[in-house]
Amino acid sequence: MLARRTLARAPPALSGTAPGNARNMATLREIELRLKSVKNIEKITKSMQMIASTKLAKAQRAMVAGKQYGVANSEVFAHSTSPSSTSNKLFIVISSDKGLCGGIHSSVTKATRRAFAGATDSPLLNEDKKAVDIDSASPIMVIGDKSKAQLSRSMSGNMRMTFNQIGRDVPTFADAAGVTDLVIKSGVPHDSVVIVYNKFVSAISYEPAAIEVRGEAGLKESEGFKAYEMEDDFTKDLAEFSLANAIYSALVEAHACEISARRNAMDNASKNAKDMIGSLQMQYNRGRQAAITNELVDIITGASAL
Amino acid sequence: MSSLRLLASAARRAPAALSLGRRGYAEASDKINLTLVLPHQPIFTSADVVQVNICAATGDMGILANHVPSIEPLRPGVVEVVESSGSKKWFVSGGFATVHPGNKLTVNVVEAAPLEDFSAEAIRTNLQEALRVASGSGSEEDKLEARIEADVYEALQHAISK
Repeated sequence: MLARRTLARAPPALSGTAPGNARNMATLREIELRLKSVKNIEKITKSMQMIASTKLAKAQRAMVAGKQYGVANSEVFAHSTSPSSTSNKLFIVISSDKGLCGGIHSSVTKATRRAFAGATDSPLLNEDKKAVDIDSASPIMVIGDKSKAQLSRSMSGNMRMTFNQIGRDVPTFADAAGVTDLVIKSGVPHDSVVIVYNKFVSAISYEPAAIEVRGEAGLKESEGFKAYEMEDDFTKDLAEFSLANAIYSALVEAHACEISARRNAMDNASKNAKDMIGSLQMQYNRGRQAAITNELVDIITGASAL
Repeated sequence: MSSLRLLASAARRAPAALSLGRRGYAEASDKINLTLVLPHQPIFTSADVVQVNICAATGDMGILANHVPSIEPLRPGVVEVVESSGSKKWFVSGGFATVHPGNKLTVNVVEAAPLEDFSAEAIRTNLQEALRVASGSGSEEDKLEARIEADVYEALQHAISK
């Protein structure tokens, strides 16, 4: 009678584990193993979050300096706007090699696709907030393996060059200069370079943005640029130096975005792991208790049968 | 008749004298808005300074307020910033100085350091090393790189011996 009552009281959710002691032990063992692995995952995500947090301060400092450098650099472009936007654009997409940082890479990838599609939320807008028409055969160069993999799925025909191993630590000017050198040496014809990167909005958000750096010819035909005096013709040097500066500025900003996105992603992952550990622990304890109760029932029924 | 002419010329002269007087009062327009930045560190951001002396590729020049818009590539050398409180010197490795319309000067340089931070000893040994590589039997590219390096050290040595 006692046995019947205890059995009836067992929660319906655990009815699957109830029959047979051996099977019960097996599921308990499984839960224990899962619990252990989730705990290990939590340790990993937590330490990754800690690493990202410590790196973030450095990355943000570099970003502030790099941004000011970029602003000072783009001043000349702000003064020399040209009415006709150049059609021959070269895209440089800035991401990095490492994952586990949320949607930071797909953000720039999607922005590039939107720019090519001429969508209304394209990162590249002209003065009256309309998407700029882009030739679908425009060349693309990608910094970072993650966006390379994403973009080569749909736009492999446009890919000209890819870079990796940049952005493991805070990018230096030498990185940017190296990229610029290879871009210029590659001989891909272009009138202007569009850099697609992640813009740092706050510690928890970022958005894709694009900056356009005009080349030598583009600068020369601009009205505003003619206002500047030059003793010799330095336009080519200036265009190349400006490209390196713009790439540097975009690289450090994208890097800071990536680190802060990684910190947030790992923070969330740690929280989820904690939740999972809680529910698994609960399930494990319930299962253990049910197994003990079952054993007791067996013992008592055996004793009362005597 | 002559008195009328005098009056007319006086009237013509008056506005010029007035505007000259006004320019004397407006302190801000005597200064130029300077932004001097390195990739990893801003030195001046939109600061009002009296004068900036740069070593452009075409020759040394001083930039005062209301300079004509111009673009000047920099060669390795000293950039001196004169503020009302005094002047400071930096050695820069190269870059671009651009005077924009609207009394604004931006200087982008790749690397710069205060002149007093350099050690004459280190410059001498590095210069010798660079000269040795430049005249050595490396590849053409290496030699050229060492030549540029030596030029920078020579400019630096010249700058600190002054």
